[in-house]
Amino acid sequence: MSLLDNESIPRRQMTLFFMIDKSGSMDGSKIGSVNDAIENVLPIIGEISDENPDAEIRVAALEFSTDTRWLYDEPKEGKDFIWQKVTAEGLTSLGEACRELNKKLSRSNGFMSSPSGCYAPAIILLSDGGPTDDFEGGLAQLKNNKWFKSAIKIAIAIGDDCDMDVLKQFTGSLEAVIKVHNIDALKKMIRIIAVTSSQIGSKSSSANDETKQREVEKQITEAAKDVAGAESAAAPEPAKSDSYDEWD
Amino acid sequence: MELKEKTSVNLTNGGHATVIKELGRGGQGIVYLVDVAGKRMALKWYLHPQQLPQKFYKNLEDNIAKGAPSEAFLWPEYLTKKEKGSFGYVMRLRPQGYYEFGHFLLARKQFGSFEAILNAAMKICDGFRLLHLHGLSYQDLNDGNFFIDPKTGDVLICDNDNVMPDGQRSGIMGKARYMAPEVVAGHAPDKYSDRFSLSVILFMLFYGNHPLEGSRVLACPCMTEEYEKKFYGSEAQFIFDPKGENRPVRGVHNNVIRRWPALPSILRDTFSAQFSQELLTTPEKRLIENQWRKVIQSLRDALVICPSCMQETFLEGDSLKCMNCGKAITPAGYLDFGGRKVALTVGSNVYINSGNDPDIAVIRVADDRYPIQLKNITNDTWVVETPSGKIKQIAPQSTMPVKPGLKVTACGVKILVY
Repeated sequence: MSLLDNESIPRRQMTLFFMIDKSGSMDGSKIGSVNDAIENVLPIIGEISDENPDAEIRVAALEFSTDTRWLYDEPKEGKDFIWQKVTAEGLTSLGEACRELNKKLSRSNGFMSSPSGCYAPAIILLSDGGPTDDFEGGLAQLKNNKWFKSAIKIAIAIGDDCDMDVLKQFTGSLEAVIKVHNIDALKKMIRIIAVTSSQIGSKSSSANDETKQREVEKQITEAAKDVAGAESAAAPEPAKSDSYDEWD
Repeated sequence: MELKEKTSVNLTNGGHATVIKELGRGGQGIVYLVDVAGKRMALKWYLHPQQLPQKFYKNLEDNIAKGAPSEAFLWPEYLTKKEKGSFGYVMRLRPQGYYEFGHFLLARKQFGSFEAILNAAMKICDGFRLLHLHGLSYQDLNDGNFFIDPKTGDVLICDNDNVMPDGQRSGIMGKARYMAPEVVAGHAPDKYSDRFSLSVILFMLFYGNHPLEGSRVLACPCMTEEYEKKFYGSEAQFIFDPKGENRPVRGVHNNVIRRWPALPSILRDTFSAQFSQELLTTPEKRLIENQWRKVIQSLRDALVICPSCMQETFLEGDSLKCMNCGKAITPAGYLDFGGRKVALTVGSNVYINSGNDPDIAVIRVADDRYPIQLKNITNDTWVVETPSGKIKQIAPQSTMPVKPGLKVTACGVKILVY
C-alpha cells in the first residue's frame, strides 16, 4: 500500500431513533403517511451520512402499540434500512417503549457500541394519543440514562387528541413538540425533523452556549411556519380575529 | 423560503439572477445554479435569515465591495435584495474536477501525488495569508470550506460569507473539531484562531487523521457538547504530545501512524510546536502563513522521484533512502539556491518560488553527453554562466545539462548546479 493511499478517518456514530406509535387510532392515512415519509427520508439520511467526515448516521426504529418491536435488531445505515410497512392496531404502550429504548441506549447490550464512539443520538417520537400503560415508570428509567439525557429529543403530535403533557415530559420541553393537523403536514414535518436532527446531531458542535437540542428546536419551529397545518406546541395561540361585535 | 426554478431575484446592482436548478443544500441554505446576464453562476440562498446575525447582510455587502483576496476564493460577487423572505449572494461556479476536502478525509478521493498535496497546502496557506493581509479573518475554518483538485492540488476556498474584519465576531460558529481552544472556550475568532484551524487542516491534509483525536478522545463513548469543549478546548492535547496520554491508536488512526515517521522531520517539528501546550494557549505565537509557506517550500525541495521505483519520496539529511522501496538514491546533482539545497533525480519538479507551478523539470535525454538535463518550464528565458565565464540563454521549453559549476539565473533567483 503506497503512503499516498489513505483510509477513511474514523467517524463517530450518530443514531437516529424513530419511535412510532402504531396504536389502533393511527390506522388509515396516519400510519400510511408515517410509512411513506420515513421510507422517503431514509435515502436523504444516507446521503447526509455519506458526505459527513464527523459521523456516520445509523437509523433505528421502534414501533409500539400493545407491544413493542424494533424493525431491525441493530441500527442500520440509511441506504441499507429497508422500510417495513408498519400497520396500526392495539393500545399505546409508551411506557414499555421507553423501557425498550432505555435498554438499547447502552454500550453493553444496546445500540451504542460503535468502535469509534458516538455522538449523542437523536430521538423522534411520533404519537397521536396518550399512553395506556405506566408511562411515568418507563420515562423515569429513561431519564436516568445518560444517552437519553444528552440526546436530541423531538416529538410530533399527530392530531388534536394527543396528550401534549406526555410529549413535553418525554422531550423535556414544549418547544421540542411539533403539532401537525393534516397528512401533508405530517409527512413534511417528519422529513424536516429527521433531516435537521441528523444534520445537527451528526456534526461536531459549534461550542457556543446553544445546545444541539435548542438548535434543532429553533430550526424546526421556523420551518413549521412554512408548513400549513404544522406548528410548534410552544407557539402562542393564533390571535382571535377582530370582530365588529366588539365595537360597541 | 425555497426558490423555484425560473424564479428571478433582484440584485442590489440592478441586475437579477434567475434560478435554473438546485445544486445542493446544507444547514444554512441552498445553492442554486443561476443565470446572471447570460452567465451561469451560483446563488447561495439562506433558508433561515432570521437566525443570522444582524450585521450579516451588511458584512456581505462590504466583502463584495472589497473583492476577493485571490482567485482561490469563491468570493461573493453580487448581493440579492432582501426579498421573498430571505436573501443570498452570487459567486462564480465551482469548476468540474474539484472535490470537498471531506471526500479526501473519507478516502472517497485520493491525491494523485505528494506534489499535489504540497500544492494544496501551499494554496491554502497563501489564501489565508492574503485574507489576513486584507485585515480579514475567516472565523469558521473547517473541512467543508475547501474544494480540491486531486490531480493538481489546486484549491478553491468557499463559504466566504462569514469572513469578517479581524477581531469582529461573525456570529456564525463552525465546528469545535476545527476551532482554536480559545474559541471553544468562548472567545471571538480572529486571525490567531484562524491560524490554529489552518494547522488542523494542514495536519489532516498531510496525515489523514485529526491532531487532537487519539486514545483519550477515542475512549469517550459519547461526544457530547461538554466533552467537545474539553477535548478541543480546556484539555486539548496533541496526539504526539510528550505527555503521551492521547496517542494515536493502531487499527483506528492508521494514516497518521504510517505517515508520521515517513514524512520529513521539519513537518513533525512544526506540528509538534504548533500543537504544543504552550501554543495551544498562546495564540500570538502560532506560525504565520508566510512561515508555513517556507516549511512547505522545504518539503517541496526535499521531494524527488526515486530512480528505482519511480515513486515520490522525501530526501532528508544524509540518509538518501527511498521511503517506499528502501533503496539508496544517488541524485544526478544538486541545485543550491543560496541556503536551499535541492537534489535532482529524473522525473522530479523544482519550484523556485512559492507559486504552484513548477519551474524546472528534471528530464532524461537519451544518447546525449549529459543524459540528465534541466528543462525550463517557465515562460522566461534563463541566463546560464559556465565555469569558464561563457554566457548562454535557455529559452522556455529548452534544456541545459546538470553539470557542476553552472550558474543559472531563473525567475530572478541565482542558482548553482553542483
